[in-house]
Amino acid sequence: MTLRRLAEILVPAALVVATALLGLVVSSYLQAYFLDTLIKVSIVVALYVFIGNSGVLSFGTISFVALGAWTAGVLTVPEEQKRITMPGLAHVLVTTNVGNYTSLALAAAVGAAAAVAAGLPLMRLSGLAAGIATFAVLEITNNVLTYEQRIGPGLNAFSGVPQTTGIWQAAIGGLICVAFAYAYQRTRFGRMTRATREDPAAARASGISIYRQRLLAFALSGALAGFAGGLYVHLQPLQVNGLYLDLTFITLAMLVVGGSGSLLGAVVGALAVNGIYSFFSAATNGVDIFGWNLTVPSGTAEIVLGVLMTVVLILRPNGITGGREFSLPRRRRPVADLEKARVPT
Amino acid sequence: MTQLAVEKLSVRYGAVEAVRGLSLEVRPGEIVGLIGPNGAGKSSTLQAIMGSAPVTGGDVKLDGRSIVGRRPEDVARRGVALVPEGRRIFGELTVEENLRLGLAARRKRGNGAGIIRAYDLFPVLLESRSRHAGFLSGGQQQQLAIGRALAADPDVLLLDEPSLGLAPKIVDVVFGALRQISDSGLAVLLVEQRAQRTVALADRSYVLANGELRLTLGPDDAGDTDRLVAAYLA
Amino acid sequence: MILGFLNLTWPVFADALALGGIYALMAVGIGLVFGVLRLVNFAYGQLIMAGAFALAYGAQWGLPNWVSILFCFGVVLALSVLMDRLVFRPLRTHSPAVMLVATFAVAFLLQNIALLAFGSLGKTAGALAQLQAPWDIGGVFIRKIAIIAITTAAGCLALLQLLLTRTPVGLHMRAAAMDFRTARILGVRANRVIGVAVLLSGLLAAVSAVLLTVEQTQVTYTFALPETIVVLAGVVVGGLNRPVPATLGGFAIGFAYGLLGGILPTNQSQYLNSFIFAAVIVVLLVRPSGLFTRAGGSVERV
Repeated sequence: MTLRRLAEILVPAALVVATALLGLVVSSYLQAYFLDTLIKVSIVVALYVFIGNSGVLSFGTISFVALGAWTAGVLTVPEEQKRITMPGLAHVLVTTNVGNYTSLALAAAVGAAAAVAAGLPLMRLSGLAAGIATFAVLEITNNVLTYEQRIGPGLNAFSGVPQTTGIWQAAIGGLICVAFAYAYQRTRFGRMTRATREDPAAARASGISIYRQRLLAFALSGALAGFAGGLYVHLQPLQVNGLYLDLTFITLAMLVVGGSGSLLGAVVGALAVNGIYSFFSAATNGVDIFGWNLTVPSGTAEIVLGVLMTVVLILRPNGITGGREFSLPRRRRPVADLEKARVPT
Repeated sequence: MTQLAVEKLSVRYGAVEAVRGLSLEVRPGEIVGLIGPNGAGKSSTLQAIMGSAPVTGGDVKLDGRSIVGRRPEDVARRGVALVPEGRRIFGELTVEENLRLGLAARRKRGNGAGIIRAYDLFPVLLESRSRHAGFLSGGQQQQLAIGRALAADPDVLLLDEPSLGLAPKIVDVVFGALRQISDSGLAVLLVEQRAQRTVALADRSYVLANGELRLTLGPDDAGDTDRLVAAYLA
Repeated sequence: MILGFLNLTWPVFADALALGGIYALMAVGIGLVFGVLRLVNFAYGQLIMAGAFALAYGAQWGLPNWVSILFCFGVVLALSVLMDRLVFRPLRTHSPAVMLVATFAVAFLLQNIALLAFGSLGKTAGALAQLQAPWDIGGVFIRKIAIIAITTAAGCLALLQLLLTRTPVGLHMRAAAMDFRTARILGVRANRVIGVAVLLSGLLAAVSAVLLTVEQTQVTYTFALPETIVVLAGVVVGGLNRPVPATLGGFAIGFAYGLLGGILPTNQSQYLNSFIFAAVIVVLLVRPSGLFTRAGGSVERV
């Protein structure tokens, strides 16, 4: 394997590890932000696996995060606690209890299955239609998870889930996602999907089934998203509305700002944007920079995020990395992405 | 009166150079033909004049004044009308509404006299004025497209392959109308694939291949197929 | 009492019509901008939210109702124009998907600015609340706001229809929505058509704000967000490309919501959203131009 190819996975992985190490040495108050960032990396990489490779927008990936979280959560809350906090829970879910790693694996499986179920009808769509249809998936999932007491806590926060996601679990989880994303884009399937994004007509002419490749990418994306959901629910008590529009926007913003065309973009985006977001969130309680105290009103972080996303979309839709992977001297051709279908005025 | 002058025009889409250094002119009362094989750059030339294509070099002058870089609607409002390839009429609007749309570019605040002209020229439009344009036949739609372009009382008329998909009899009607139009003083630039008929109709015809001008022909050359073929394949 | 076994009464029917009317107005607002810009303005709800906050301030400052309403219109129109200039215009050459994400960003941004400025409790816009009281019409008590909403919606839609079909600018807008490129070649001014669409869209948002605050007197940063999402679904199902199908879609969803919400017991109406969005998916797969449009002609795929 050439050094350049290796750099494609090593650099993102190194960034994840660096973040984790940094998270170990800071105060426990700040550590929460690092943990959150590492989980976001997993989610954004999951988003990237589909959006980055296929060039098709998906608003629905957070559904799979939610379903993964639900799965891992429901199966790891101790049985006696389940009977109290989730009285409506289906019997089989009450009596089934699995360990930490099993719950993560199952979360990934459920995410993948849901992605396949949604993808079977939806993968023929592209552009605006895909955006709207996947948004519908998000809505339906949110609706069902909010009101269906038989599969989870409904509107209540998920309490009692063993908090097994520390820095190590979050970091390794992130690395796993990066590894899978890298492996996928190196395989024939990943390359075929990318081809459909660059030039659908040529891809079709070469015998590539756009539908099948997209479905595969979507399924992998769903698996990683579910997995990330599992990590997330083991971190803090999640609530269904925290896995809905705001999280969709934030993770999409991270991908767009970092650059949706590359794995590096996904990781850089997640780290950079969540870094900024965390900084401003922490600043609501006052933060010291070189002896100068900065306190901002709460909500500033979201506003900064919104402005950042809008500006990047207008000025540099390809993001910070320009859709390129990390490359040593020889420049690769920048990859087209979301803005592919430019409409001439 | 107005004269359309294209000077060393270059049009480029990304890495593809569609038109290279093209120069031609159309005087009032003239029909100038622009023929050539597919992909020669004929449509691009018209689009560039209209302001819908990226001009990377050269100039387009209307009555001596440059119009390059202007928005399409502004070029239209200066008296240039385009009958686009494929007609592009609004099928969901009525014939009358399509013509009214053509009034958007008129320069004199009038009561739509241009529409009367269109009806005079193409009586079939008057008969079907309240019908949805989508129900017209190909030939009728072509007449509507031309009528719509004339509604604004332009000085220059550009046509992109008007005979496409039309039966020979209808082409006669359309080409006959073009002669009437140029006789009334307009400068007409006609892009076509039907080489022979165009060369026979036009006062002058240019052969465009690969973005460059290859040959200039007069109506007498209409019968000289060898020359035409040679020019196309050059 | 009509259809007593269904729990359907005149008041419920009127309320459903009213909701349909309001949603129809919102649908047109969204549809007009989509028609000329090919942009689904996810932030439309925030325009309505801004209007509602304006009304709240009007009430707080003790302004007479009609002044508050004027203020509301002013704020919404200003914000619409600002949105167009700062966000829509630079994005015009990008793909519809990117534009959707951008409006998503704007929506997020505006919501959080409102949260920052007004707190999570928001403000009260109770000046028009008395319209919730009913009129006695032949023994049946129908809420005043229901009648007002129905007539206002009908009136606005009628005016809009006149504008679109009888005036030159309306013709230009319809043509631009069908084929912008050709319209421009004919001399239709792009900026003017877009400007008018944005303005009309803003006016409709302002009207919606006034009508919605009658019932929802507490204005928070999520004001009109759930409604916008549902209306978007209705517009897609009805037909995104043309104003009439979009309006019908919005009305149908509002009416269905109001009706089913009024008839069904709460635990059955919870999943209404899921059914509606499942319908959106089906429509996008089977008939992407919408249910209420004529198939064929010059309707484009989304």
